[in-house]
Amino acid sequence: MPKILRPMDVYKYLPGTNCGKCGEANCMAFATKLIERQVSIEQCPEIFEAKYKDKLEAMREVLRAPVKDVTIGVGDRAVTVGGKVCVYRHELTWYHPTAIAIDVHDEMPEDELVKRVEQVENFVFERIGMQLKLDMVALRCVSGSPEKFAKAADIIGKKSKLPMILCTFNPDVMEEALIAVGDKRPLIYAANERNWKEYAKLASKYQCPLTVSAPGDLSMLKSLCRSLRKYGLDDLVLDPGTYLVGEGFNETINMFTMLRMTAIEKEDKDLGYPLIAVPAAIWLSPKAKEDEASTKMQESYMACALMSRYADILVLHSFDIWVLLPILTWRQNLYTDPRVPLSVKPTIYEVKEPTEKSPLYVTCNSALTYFLIRNDVEAAGGGWIVCVDTGGISLQSSVAGKRFTADMVAETLKETGALEKVKHKSVIIPGYAARISGELEDMLKDWKVFVGPRDSSAIPSFIEKVWKPEMEGK
Amino acid sequence: MSESMPVEISPVYEGERIRKQDMYVELGGPNVEHKCELVLAKPMEEVEDGKISIVGPDLNELKEGSSNPYAVVVEVAGKMVEKDLESVIERRIHDFSNYIEGYMHLNQRYDIWCRISKKAFNKGLNSFKWIGMALAKLYKAEMPFIEKIQITFYTDPEKVKEIYEQALKIYEARDARARGLRDEDVDTFYSCVLCQSFAPQHVCIITPQRVSLCGAINWFDARAAAKVDPKGPIIPVAKGECIDPIRGEYTGANEIVEKRSLGANKRFWLYSCFGYPHTSCGCFDTILFYIPEVDGFGCVDRGFKGPTVNGLPFSTMATQVGGGIQTEGFLGIGMEYYRSAKFMQADGGWNRVVWIASTLRARIEDAIPPHLKDKIATEKEAPDIESLKKFMIERGHPLAKKLLEMEAAAKAEEEKAPAEAAPAAAPGVTISGLPLPAAGGAGGIRITLKGAKIRINQLIIKKEG
Amino acid sequence: MEEAKEEKKKSEGPSAGRGIGVAELLSLLEKSKAVELKDVEIVAEELTFELLPVVLQAAAPAAPPPAAPPEEKPLELERVSFEPLTQTYVGEIAEVQIGATSKEGGTRSRVIKIGGEKSPPFYRWEQPTPWRPVVALDVFGVDILPPLPKTIKQWYMDVMDDRAAWAEKCMREYGADLVTFHLISTDPSLPNSTPAPEAAKFIDKMADKISDPFMIGSAGDPNKDLEVLQEVSKVVAGERVVFASVTLDMDLEASAKALTKSNLDVIALAFLDINQVKELNSKLLDLGVPKNNLITDPSTGGLGYGLEYTFSMMERMRLAGLKGDPSMQVPISCAATNAWAAREAWAKIEEWGPREYRGPIWEAVTGLAGMLAGADLLMMMHPLAAKIVKNAAEILSKNKLKEDWREIPYENWVAMKI
Repeated sequence: MPKILRPMDVYKYLPGTNCGKCGEANCMAFATKLIERQVSIEQCPEIFEAKYKDKLEAMREVLRAPVKDVTIGVGDRAVTVGGKVCVYRHELTWYHPTAIAIDVHDEMPEDELVKRVEQVENFVFERIGMQLKLDMVALRCVSGSPEKFAKAADIIGKKSKLPMILCTFNPDVMEEALIAVGDKRPLIYAANERNWKEYAKLASKYQCPLTVSAPGDLSMLKSLCRSLRKYGLDDLVLDPGTYLVGEGFNETINMFTMLRMTAIEKEDKDLGYPLIAVPAAIWLSPKAKEDEASTKMQESYMACALMSRYADILVLHSFDIWVLLPILTWRQNLYTDPRVPLSVKPTIYEVKEPTEKSPLYVTCNSALTYFLIRNDVEAAGGGWIVCVDTGGISLQSSVAGKRFTADMVAETLKETGALEKVKHKSVIIPGYAARISGELEDMLKDWKVFVGPRDSSAIPSFIEKVWKPEMEGK
Repeated sequence: MSESMPVEISPVYEGERIRKQDMYVELGGPNVEHKCELVLAKPMEEVEDGKISIVGPDLNELKEGSSNPYAVVVEVAGKMVEKDLESVIERRIHDFSNYIEGYMHLNQRYDIWCRISKKAFNKGLNSFKWIGMALAKLYKAEMPFIEKIQITFYTDPEKVKEIYEQALKIYEARDARARGLRDEDVDTFYSCVLCQSFAPQHVCIITPQRVSLCGAINWFDARAAAKVDPKGPIIPVAKGECIDPIRGEYTGANEIVEKRSLGANKRFWLYSCFGYPHTSCGCFDTILFYIPEVDGFGCVDRGFKGPTVNGLPFSTMATQVGGGIQTEGFLGIGMEYYRSAKFMQADGGWNRVVWIASTLRARIEDAIPPHLKDKIATEKEAPDIESLKKFMIERGHPLAKKLLEMEAAAKAEEEKAPAEAAPAAAPGVTISGLPLPAAGGAGGIRITLKGAKIRINQLIIKKEG
Repeated sequence: MEEAKEEKKKSEGPSAGRGIGVAELLSLLEKSKAVELKDVEIVAEELTFELLPVVLQAAAPAAPPPAAPPEEKPLELERVSFEPLTQTYVGEIAEVQIGATSKEGGTRSRVIKIGGEKSPPFYRWEQPTPWRPVVALDVFGVDILPPLPKTIKQWYMDVMDDRAAWAEKCMREYGADLVTFHLISTDPSLPNSTPAPEAAKFIDKMADKISDPFMIGSAGDPNKDLEVLQEVSKVVAGERVVFASVTLDMDLEASAKALTKSNLDVIALAFLDINQVKELNSKLLDLGVPKNNLITDPSTGGLGYGLEYTFSMMERMRLAGLKGDPSMQVPISCAATNAWAAREAWAKIEEWGPREYRGPIWEAVTGLAGMLAGADLLMMMHPLAAKIVKNAAEILSKNKLKEDWREIPYENWVAMKI
């Protein structure tokens, strides 16, 4: 069963003093943010007092997600992954968006390494009011040399705040890097059947999260996790292997799905950790270099597929914007909260470079309504669309619930500057909002209010048959 | 019919305004004393389907620019038509009238205000028969359970007065029945899953004393909707056996909740915020939230933008309460439920309410029992928990006594705690006025060791930078 | 503890008499960078450490640190075996056959089957995937073309004037399982709207020219679509081709009559609302449309424009069907073509990289998301995107794997030289 918490489940373990030291107004507000995983227990100073010891323990147990949250890195770029409480996002929501790492390796010339790390760190793509960013760098040990690996890690640590994934199966090489950057809480990649004892000690000594790798062998993966847990490690990341070539893709999707189902629905604690996927592994294919564009495409859509099937960390090799764009967009999509109605910013939108002669439409700011209308406005030759803030609620509901009233529409038209955008002094309101037409006309002196169709697919014919003739007659 | 209809009939005319200079005649409105509209459920044999009658002068016989007494009586019949649906059917007169091009309709019941535009009159809308025909057609299309319909328009002042007086009595009787109708009096509730489009497991149970969360559908509406569209999202629920009359648990409701939430929820306590509370979708009017510090409830509506007394704004709580998940202590509720005798009955009802956002209070002032009017705070008197406690104690809220007891108990606990932890070892000496290195920023952790005795082999304190 | 500071209280050295007060300690610290104390005992009534936020952030994830085990603790591998959670479901998805051969009353040379699932999509450890999801490419008719992005058009330039050749190209060259003939010119709002009988003639011609199963797409007007359905159903009676689509605002009784009389499959199209899906499907089923002829389409928002909504809705629909809701026990269709509404797919914007790549990826990601959520039929436009999605469908639908996927050792990604 999904582990869904309510504020009261957590509130009862808090001190209840409303001291405000956590920065929230009171304990209830803090409890609410705790279950939404926006704050951590450590922000409550009082709970660590001796008298609350039992409460603290109980609360940790309650808050522990079936897929534990694991933090990688330190400082303001630290990233938390996992924290999943349900398999399907519609059951509640998915917390902690998939972290995206770009690979570098220790044989890159220093300037190249620094440049790539900086590119990753400064990467920003703005989309629907959100800044989409990359989260980590994965440093691969290609050289086999502890010195080279440690030096590269050190450079990254000094040049950037990005969390690192240190990738090598050699414990000596790993330790050398941990000496350099172990205090930055990198993710250690990876303990496997051969090296896990040494890696357990490293993870414990340097207090770093540890990846457990057992490619294609889930029983081994579980055995390793069981053993590492017994050893006292709890910040683990699971690597069942990312096979992408041929039927390997089938096995990978299958393993990821089984692992997540089993962790949450069967509450298998050994497997209750975030999943790492490595789409970069597509470059292992002997044919990868033959057609680079096609390999990059595969990396892109397979990353998206793996994200749909529960990857909490993605390690990518390609850095082309067109490879990253679909991945970042799909992550933004998947990690919106399905409990909150999808909305777009209440503002004025341009469709197909409109002019002062283009039609002006007004609607609600439900994203679904907006996207539908946008398509139809596009088909009708473009125009201006003004979205009124209805809290993302659909048009019919907001008209019925008085959240799409004449004065709200008039106000939004004024605020967004829409009234100055067109010279024809006319606005088209949705058919379902017909009842506000008269009142709106009263409010917008000298303006004509058109009642558009109820179904937006009729917009093109409405423009041709009603709006244009009227405009021409003017 | 539509071929001969002189004007268009379409929802696009719904909001049409007819200004004084464009008006041909006015029917009802503020200038005349008597006006009303009325729907009556009749036996099949008393209704002649499609019959339109006009008592008094017809449209073309009224003086241009005049205001006239006006009554519209719609008589309906059908196997599924019943008295309880009259008001629901009647409310649609407004919508349907407004679909008619050049016919403006405002308000309802004894307060209607209609106008015919000059333009429409010149196009041929010169008789009430057109309005009647349009209404009859729309009714049968939108409410197919109406098998027969006849409509009478009154403009004869004497007749209108007569109908008006009769109508007032009918409204009053209907309201009394609606107000008085208790959950105990019916054997059918309704369940609505309209909101499952975004709240997967949410099922609304609508009873005479519990309106839908969105506030838009009461028991009568639901009853009509279920008849109009038996395959639609609103279906009847056989109430079944009452397991708990106080908390409001019914076997029939439980069964339907389990079925329609696909097993996600199995029990509902309809009159409680605890245990097995009703789920919430996302489009509720208001949220009722438990305030543990005072063991009472706060209420806030969607229009209230700031933080409430518990520090959370409506939007944050909406996420918590929404999505069709049973959330103890948080409940989305429809406005009308505040006026119900069953309002939070299991939890103490109105006596448990301590705080209401002023925007909401303005809308439900009438629902607040007189003895609580000065005892329930808004954000103005109580922006936070501390001021709320003070307010409750000052005003003597019914929960104040318990609050004082809770406070006293907490204090006793507080005092007890250090005593227990006091060490046997000699206490140290306190020094004040120490020079402190750079003051700690906000949000740090404070670890306090009381009665500590620490043995250290080596302690290094380093300064940063 | 090096960034901790101690405040307010005092510490006293023990009996040794070389006690140092906290005040003194702190003033020492003022002057120097570090203070070192050896063999001290601090006795305090109350000792407060305040960790600064920067420390907190660093320390937070580690707290509470797992108790570091003693070095000598033996490390033994505890071998356990992985047992996946295997669920069972009361419901199953109906199987829909597209196309009918001469034995079955039609004239198609082959048939396509979709649906039949007894578990969520590709949960092959629970139940095998009965039929792989199929891909349909668009062919536009009767005589006009919609505005198509250049990146798509270029693939069909040579066949634009010959719809049958276009269809052949889609299937033979681009590997589509079938095609959809979109009768967009029947849209009554167009100046020279194609009358329904003429549209039927066109379909009749196509049915003669190609022997594969196919789909027929309507223009989206509730009245005209019904007319088209009624006319078309006469010419393809018994062929079991798919009519896309019937919507809630159509005369469902008349639609169902035309469909059942000619044994056509149908896509029931709802608009991003699960209640509408439920209502439309139940009504069609009640009106006698067999489950094995019904495909449901909840509408697809493209990547970046509501795809997650469609994704979750399809997951919900499929789970509801498996849990026993009869109206959801039919195959799902996903119009991945809607991805092209996104500027990211078609716009020529240099900073976003070449649109020749962006476009097909956008459509492929949309289709893949739909497929992973339960879609059995993908309606697509770009040949490359179609190829990607079909290839993924083939791979993901395998119930038994050859073991060669292990051939390239996965661990090698760490040290690979690229």
